[in-house]
Amino acid sequence: MRKYLIKRVFYMILTLFLVATITFFLMKLMPGTPYSNQQKMTPQQIHIMNEQYGLNKPVWQQYLIYILGMLHGDLGTSFQFSNQPVSYLIASRIGPSAQLGAQAMIFGVFFGIIIGSIAAINRNTWVDTTATIVSIIGKSVPNFVLAVLLQYYIALKLGWFPIADWGNFSYTVLPTIALGVGPLAETARFVRTGMVDVLNSDYIELARAKGMSKFGIVYHHALRNSLIPLVTLIGPYTVALMTGSMVIENIFSIPGIGEQFVKSILVNDYPTIMGVTMLFSAGLVAVILLTDIVYGIIDPRIRLSGNGD
Amino acid sequence: MKLNKLAKLAAVVAFSAVALAACGSKSSSTASKQVLNWNENSELPTMDLSKATDVVSFDMLNNSMEGIYRLGKDSKIEPGLATKTQVSNDGMKYVFTLRKNAKWSNGDKVTAKDFVYSWQRTVNPKTASQYAYLFSGIKNADAIMAGKKAVSTLGIKADGNYKLTVTLEKKLPYFKLLMGFPVFFPQNQKAVKQYGSKYGTASKYMVYDGPFKMTKWTGSNLSWTLKKNNDYWDKKNVKLSAINFKVNKSNTTAYNLYQSGKLDETNLGAEQAKQLKGSKDYVVRRGATTFYLEFNQTKKEFQNQKIRQAISMVINRKQFVNKVLGDGSTVAKGYVSTGLAKHNGVDFATAAYVKSGTESNIAEAKKLWAEGLKELGVKNLSFSILSDDTDAGNNTTQFLQSAIEENLKGAKVSVENVPFKTRLSRSENGQFDVVVSGWGADFSDPISFLDLFTSDNSYNNGKWKNTEYDKLIQASKTTDAGNANKRWNDLVKAEKILMKDQGIAPIYQQANATLVKSKVKGVIYNPAGVNYNFKDAYIAK
Repeated sequence: MRKYLIKRVFYMILTLFLVATITFFLMKLMPGTPYSNQQKMTPQQIHIMNEQYGLNKPVWQQYLIYILGMLHGDLGTSFQFSNQPVSYLIASRIGPSAQLGAQAMIFGVFFGIIIGSIAAINRNTWVDTTATIVSIIGKSVPNFVLAVLLQYYIALKLGWFPIADWGNFSYTVLPTIALGVGPLAETARFVRTGMVDVLNSDYIELARAKGMSKFGIVYHHALRNSLIPLVTLIGPYTVALMTGSMVIENIFSIPGIGEQFVKSILVNDYPTIMGVTMLFSAGLVAVILLTDIVYGIIDPRIRLSGNGD
Repeated sequence: MKLNKLAKLAAVVAFSAVALAACGSKSSSTASKQVLNWNENSELPTMDLSKATDVVSFDMLNNSMEGIYRLGKDSKIEPGLATKTQVSNDGMKYVFTLRKNAKWSNGDKVTAKDFVYSWQRTVNPKTASQYAYLFSGIKNADAIMAGKKAVSTLGIKADGNYKLTVTLEKKLPYFKLLMGFPVFFPQNQKAVKQYGSKYGTASKYMVYDGPFKMTKWTGSNLSWTLKKNNDYWDKKNVKLSAINFKVNKSNTTAYNLYQSGKLDETNLGAEQAKQLKGSKDYVVRRGATTFYLEFNQTKKEFQNQKIRQAISMVINRKQFVNKVLGDGSTVAKGYVSTGLAKHNGVDFATAAYVKSGTESNIAEAKKLWAEGLKELGVKNLSFSILSDDTDAGNNTTQFLQSAIEENLKGAKVSVENVPFKTRLSRSENGQFDVVVSGWGADFSDPISFLDLFTSDNSYNNGKWKNTEYDKLIQASKTTDAGNANKRWNDLVKAEKILMKDQGIAPIYQQANATLVKSKVKGVIYNPAGVNYNFKDAYIAK
C-alpha cells in the first residue's frame, strides 16, 4: 500500500509539472499583451512595460523563472488586479466556490441516491417514470436557466431567500440548488441503473429468501454495490464544482474563483491563468487518487497493492 | 374548536410578523436617508492611481481623491485643491496655488510635494503605469518614460508647501481638463512607502483626500463603501453619508435587486433596455466611445475612396442601433463623439458633420461601388470584416455582412469574430481587410480622437494618409494652440477631411442604458475620462 501511494504521488507531481509546462507555453502563444490599456499604448510604451515585467525575455527563460517561483510558493502578481498576489486572489476567492461546490455535491448526491433508489425499487411503475423524467429535466435544463427562475420566483417574488450576494447560509440555498440539480440527475440515473442490475442478482434473491426486509436489502446489499460506478463520477465532478461555476457565481454575485479563471484567459493575465490552472489540476489529480483509495474501501475486490501492482 | 384557536393564533402571529417587518423597513429607510446603493458591473481592480486603467477604479479614485480641479457637469472645471491658477502668456507654464485646509485621511496636510511625488511616481518606468502617456507634453515626461532622463527632471516643482509650478515642453490646450483626471492627482509619499507593495490593493492600504473615504474593500470582494470624508475641505457640500457599491455582473440579477429596492441604480442589458425604454427611471449614459470601420489602406481595393464610401453608405445606422443593438447606443454623427466638446455653444460633432460620411444612401452606394470596381478593373470583391467576439461584435458583423452583400453587386464578405486582444493584435499588425474598431476619449477634447489618424500615429491601423489633415492637427498643437477659435476650426476642418474622404466609416456611439431611482439627484456623469462624480449627489425626500 505504501509503495503504491509513493508511486502515485510521484506520478501526480509529474502530471502537475507537465500541466504547468504545457499551459505555460500554450498561454504564451495567445496574441496580445496582458495590459488592459494596450489599445492606447504605443509599441514603444508596450516595450518599456514588457521590460518592467520581464516579458521581453525569451519564453523559456520566463518559463524557468515562473517554475522556480512556483517551487518557492510564489505564483506572481496579477495584471488585472494590480499588485495583488495571485495566491491572495485564489485564497480569498476559493472559499465561496469550494463551499458552494461541496454543498451542491452533497445536495445532489444525497437526493440523487434517494431518487435513484426509489426509482429502482419501483421499477417500471409511475414512480420510476416520474423519477426518470425528473432526472432528464435536471440533466437537460442548463443550471443558469434554473438559477434565473429560482432567483425570480423564490427570491424576488416570494422573498424566501436573498436575491444575490454572499453572506450567511440563506445566501447559499438557491445557488446550491441550481448547481446541485445537475449532479442530482446524474447520480439518480447512475444509482437507478446500478441498483436495477444488483437487485436482479442471485445474492439479493438469497437475502429475500432469508426473509430480510425490503429496506434492509436495499440498504445493506444493493446500495453499496450500486455506488461503485458513482464514485468515479463524483470525484472529478466535485473538483469541477468546487473550483467554481462562472455562470452561477455571476447570477448570484458570489465572490468565487470561477469567473477569475475565464476572465484571466481573456485578458492574458498570465500569472492568474497559471495559478488557477494549477489549483484546478492539483485538485483533480488529488481527487483521482482519493477515488482509487475509496474504491478499495467500498469494494474489497479491488486491492490497491494487488497482483497487478 | 382547537383548530379554530390555532388558526386565530396563526393569524395573530402572521399579522405581527408583517407589522414588525413593516416597522423594520420603515426605520431602516429613515436611517439610510442619504445612502446611495450603486451597482457596478465589474470588480474594483486597484486604488493605486498610477496603476489604474479601468472605469471602476477611476470612478472610485475620482470620488475618494482630489486633484487640482474636479470635473463638474459637462466636464466643466470646478475648484479642487487649487485656489488660484496662473498661466504664462505662452501657455507653457502653470502656477497653482493650493488650499491650506486640505488633509489626507492619515492626518497629513495635502501639499504641493504630494503632486510632485505622485507625478514622478507615475512617469517612472519602474512603476509601469499604463496611463503615463497622458503626461506627454509636460517637460521631459517622454524622455523619462523612455528611461533617458531622471524622474527628478520632470517639469513639476513645489515652491514651499502650497505653490506648484508645472512646465510644459509643448502646448497642451486641454491641460486643465487633464488636471481633473485621477492620474494627475496627488499621492501621499508616506502612505505609499508605508504600505509598499500593498499600496492601493485594499481600502485600508490607502489614504484619501477627496469627498469620500473608502471602506470594506478587501482587494477581491464584490462590495465596498464610500463614506463621507469628514476631513474634506468642502465637506459641508457633500450630502451623501455613504455610497454602497455592489458588483453584479448579471444585469438580470441587478435588475431584480433594483426592483426589490436594494439598488438605486442598475445597468441594463440590450434586451432589458428595449423593454424598459418607457420607464420613468430610464437614463441613457452616453459615452465618448465611437465604433467605426477601419479600412486597410495598404490594400489596393481600400485605397479606392469610392469603395470605402459605398460600404459606408449601405449601412443603415439608425436601424442598426435601434433594432440590433438596442442598448441606448446612438448613430455616430462622425468620428468625434457627440456631447464631448462644445465651442461657443456648438457641439463638435454638429460643427464637423459631413452628411455623406455617415448617411445611408443605397442608390448612391450602388453607383459608387460600380465605379469603384471599374477603376480597380475587377468585377467582384471579396473581403473580410474583423470584430470582437462579444454580442455587440457578432451583431455588428452580421448586420454589415448582410447589408453589404445585399446591396453591393459582386461583394463577398466573410466575417471573423475574435477575442478582444486578438482583434487588437491583428489590427496593430495590419492583418485585416476591414476591422470594427472602437475608440474612447480620455478627456473632453476632440484631439483625444483626432490625433489617432495622423499618418505617423501608431494607432492608425488602417494607414489612412492625408497631408492636409496632418497639417491641421499639427497647427492645432503649435501655431494655433493658443487661439481657441483657430484651434477649434483646425480640428473641425480635419474631421471634415477625414469624413469626406471616408478614411473611416463611423457606425455608432456607445451608450449604457441604466435605471436610476428618481429620488437620486445631483449625480454627475461625464462621457470622457472619469464617468461619475458623486460629490453633489443626494437623495431627495
